[in-house]
Amino acid sequence: MTPAAPAPADTNRHYDLDPDIFGLFLDPLRKYSSGIYATPDTTLAQAQIAKLHFVAGRLQVTDGARLLDVGCGWGSLVLFMAREYHTSVVGISPAGRQYEYIAQRVADLDLGDRVHIVTGHFEDATFDPALVPEGGFDGVSMLGSIVHMPDLDHAMGRARGLLRRGGRFYVSESCFRNAATRTAFDTGPGLEFVRQAIFGWGDMRPLSDLVRAAEDAGFSVVSVDDLTDDYRRTIDDWHANVAANADAIDNVQPGMAATLARYLEVANAGWGYTTKHYALTCKKAR
Amino acid sequence: MTASENLTTPASASVADITATLTDIVASELGVAPTSIRPDSDLRAMEGADSVKVLRTIAKIEREYNVELEDEDVFGASTVAGIANVVHRALVAS
Repeated sequence: MTPAAPAPADTNRHYDLDPDIFGLFLDPLRKYSSGIYATPDTTLAQAQIAKLHFVAGRLQVTDGARLLDVGCGWGSLVLFMAREYHTSVVGISPAGRQYEYIAQRVADLDLGDRVHIVTGHFEDATFDPALVPEGGFDGVSMLGSIVHMPDLDHAMGRARGLLRRGGRFYVSESCFRNAATRTAFDTGPGLEFVRQAIFGWGDMRPLSDLVRAAEDAGFSVVSVDDLTDDYRRTIDDWHANVAANADAIDNVQPGMAATLARYLEVANAGWGYTTKHYALTCKKAR
Repeated sequence: MTASENLTTPASASVADITATLTDIVASELGVAPTSIRPDSDLRAMEGADSVKVLRTIAKIEREYNVELEDEDVFGASTVAGIANVVHRALVAS
């Protein structure tokens, strides 16, 4: 990197890459998290739409609901919930290029009255009071973002504080399979590669840590879903797209296709052995 | 013996059969010639090996013989012969 290049935010340099790269291996919505595959023939695009409906179901989204999506990526969830469920959605992400991308999509789709994007870190962001509904949000979602937040208790406490009574909190995250696996593999070469070459910072935890933090924040746990096999297929599909579009990806950023392929291989090798992918749904209620 | 025969008649697979299959898997994962792999080859110390390739090797051998190894065998496995023996024991037990 030259001194003139903008410094990437500490935890999210991967997400500040040229958005064109992600268009070359993700689904058309650019959803960068697991899909849900209903059948052996389900495509990546179908799986991602199915996943968004799944999240809506876990959040019990109704017409007109007020939602907050933490780590909104390229806006797949915020745009989908606004269009398909007629909700008002606030998205937050630290990645400036994601903001620019979503802002254009919001303008193209004429959703400016219902979709608002905040640039910053969820843990310390100051939300414009006009964006926070009176009484709190109906739902808060974090798809693959809590892994980038160092203070789990603070993040969960903040999510709960922004919810109305009875509101729901949805987290899907890649987890170590258990605490012992974390101890053994947290400093392994596979994860080090992912940290160094891809994300910069991430703290993968076992599900038990997430449940413990949710309980300590005062949430009731509603459900846990195992999405490990779905994420394996999602990554297989991404990997195939990276292979098919390697030249185009390298044209945007030389060497990126090989780095992405390696990341996806590392991720898919671990499922079930060292890692799992879970969806945890909680409720702000007794 | 071919892979499909292994799946249908797993208990008949000998340690030698499993070692041969495993050698092919390791060769393909590491991108080396099968002839360069010996039963006492330490998987984790071989040229081109890393923890991810070892895991992928274990996953393939589990699928090949339709067995699930214990964690200590998955993560403690070192030599080709050692893994073949563990797979054989799992087959006999199943």
